[in-house]
Amino acid sequence: MEIDNTFGPIDIAISGMRAQGENIKLISSNVSNVQTTDNGNGQPYRRLEALFKTDGDGMGGVILDELAVDMSDFHRILKPGHPNADEQGYVTMPNVNLPTEMINLNIATRVYQANVAVLKRYQRMVETALELLR
Amino acid sequence: MSKISNIIDLLEAGIKAEGLRQKAIANNVANLETPGYRRIDVKFEELLAKALNSSGSVDLSKIEAQIYQPKQTPVKSNGNDTNLETEVGEMVKNSLRHKTYIRLLYKKYKKMELAMNVK
Repeated sequence: MEIDNTFGPIDIAISGMRAQGENIKLISSNVSNVQTTDNGNGQPYRRLEALFKTDGDGMGGVILDELAVDMSDFHRILKPGHPNADEQGYVTMPNVNLPTEMINLNIATRVYQANVAVLKRYQRMVETALELLR
Repeated sequence: MSKISNIIDLLEAGIKAEGLRQKAIANNVANLETPGYRRIDVKFEELLAKALNSSGSVDLSKIEAQIYQPKQTPVKSNGNDTNLETEVGEMVKNSLRHKTYIRLLYKKYKKMELAMNVK
């Protein structure tokens, strides 16, 4: 006898919540490092991007597969006198774009909320089914 | 399924396991930030299925719900592998199961009452 997985939708919704939770963590890392000119090896901070993957084949929820490093160009701002400035007085700043991060944060929050909504709705559906046992 | 003669015993065992699982979840939530803590879970359904598959009669009192560490979730930097979302999901599933068992038990008693009321 196999144990039937009645609570599959719950696990999937939870996987979505977890993935978006990690995503929000990543976005906050990007936002907090928006002015970090030194990531420890003398380079400015490079923004990170979350890559999601389906867990299992088909209907298995989602997992955060990889933290991809955004290889786009760094911003250069004129700031003579800054310790990290080059000969022309330019400082290389991280390739983080604040408006983009805020939009990503909005999307991540909405997806998180949508997953919670799915979880709640499924819980209500099971409870409705249980009403038949009254 | 003829091996289980008493449905009440079965439901009782299920409710007991759910009670234990609720404790395990509470423990996990309490230790969300404890360094080195691995989340615990309760193994019961698997043991029951195994017992039902085996030949011979099933003694429900012998099937004891076990606490174990699944060690399947990724470990954070402080050696802890719990997270709030998973525990909330487990709690939702647990309470739904609990509700189901209680309703079934209620139905069973209702049926007995009905049988006793025949005039």
